[in-house]
Amino acid sequence: MNDTDRASKITAIIEAYPADRRFALAAMQDMQHEFNYIPEEGLVALADYLDCSKAHLYSMATFYKALSLTPKGEHIIKICNGTACHLRGSVNLATELKRILDIEPGQTSADGEFSVEYVNCLGSCALAPVMVVDGVYHNKLKVDQISGIVESYRTDDSKDVVSND
Amino acid sequence: MSDLLNITIDGRPCTCEAGEYLYDVAERNGIHIPALCRSDAFEDHRACCRVCIVEVEERGRRKVVTSCVYPVERECTVYTNSEKIAEERAVTLALLSKRAPESETIAAMAREAGGAEGFDRLVTLDGEKCILCGLCVQACDSLGTGAISTVNRGVDKMVSTPYDKPSADCIGCLSCANVCPTGAIEYAQDATSRTIWNRTFELALCERCGSPMGTKDAVHRAAQQAGVEEPRICDACRKRELADEMMHTYRYV
Repeated sequence: MNDTDRASKITAIIEAYPADRRFALAAMQDMQHEFNYIPEEGLVALADYLDCSKAHLYSMATFYKALSLTPKGEHIIKICNGTACHLRGSVNLATELKRILDIEPGQTSADGEFSVEYVNCLGSCALAPVMVVDGVYHNKLKVDQISGIVESYRTDDSKDVVSND
Repeated sequence: MSDLLNITIDGRPCTCEAGEYLYDVAERNGIHIPALCRSDAFEDHRACCRVCIVEVEERGRRKVVTSCVYPVERECTVYTNSEKIAEERAVTLALLSKRAPESETIAAMAREAGGAEGFDRLVTLDGEKCILCGLCVQACDSLGTGAISTVNRGVDKMVSTPYDKPSADCIGCLSCANVCPTGAIEYAQDATSRTIWNRTFELALCERCGSPMGTKDAVHRAAQQAGVEEPRICDACRKRELADEMMHTYRYV
């Protein structure tokens, strides 16, 4: 994605909302969805549009776990670490993902393809341990299923889409 | 005028208007309540240091409240240093001492409160002075620059500029540092410049005596907000000039 594309996408996201501060979070969520993170120029443009300080938006963006200020991977793997999943071995899922992708929860793989993160209870305790990849639930997981799931998301063309600029 | 209420604070009869904050009533009557995050600079208070707690007895019931934001609505009896309050305040200050061990203000208040037992197992945050009360952010916002904010949450929470970079919004006015109850915001100043939040500002110097009047950005902004021309000489020199003029006008010389 070149800079002009990115700038026009940011403008489109921001101007979809009225210039009122209560839409700050919604606009930032849209940016997160579009770019997998909130670019600094997006934050600055939003602050200008809403006539609020950059610090105010930065505070919000760092407060919510759903928002990220650094680029996240193309595919986001969420490991549930609620009580039930924890007891049923969610830590082992994280260890297996570390073996496959060489990243800890909270990190993004070097090729920009996967981000792994711990989340708290997903409300699916009966299905523990649960892992969610791009919104799709994988439940009652065993460690040996992990690599198959990861590989099914690893596509050749996704490498071309992701850029780490 | 609203109704006047008669309340008793530490055995002393006090009069106040309905809705006045208990802390203000006590201070006005010469009763000191210790507090950290309360500042006269603002009308709305943070109520987060919890040092200003007092016990209020209303309709035969006693409760612990934060006096800085507790509006007096009916006649009551207030104890600012009952046994319960002394104990709870000592615990609060012991916890704050763990959070901000470098703050001499907190250390002194904790000593005065008598200390509390059993907190040795807690981790002390080395080198920390900040209690995250947010007064600095409130000061920066109300000045209209909004250069700093709280960043992250939970144990990672701190006060900073966006991306920890020098902020273009900051004017180096020191409002944040001046309002901080624990002196946690560091800055450096020499004859011609001031450095705060990783940014160095040029100082505006009085054209007559050469003393600093604040950063150029802060002086510019203050003049802009007041709708006046930027001052070229400091307050002291301006007063001297005015006095000289008056003397000549009224022929005292």
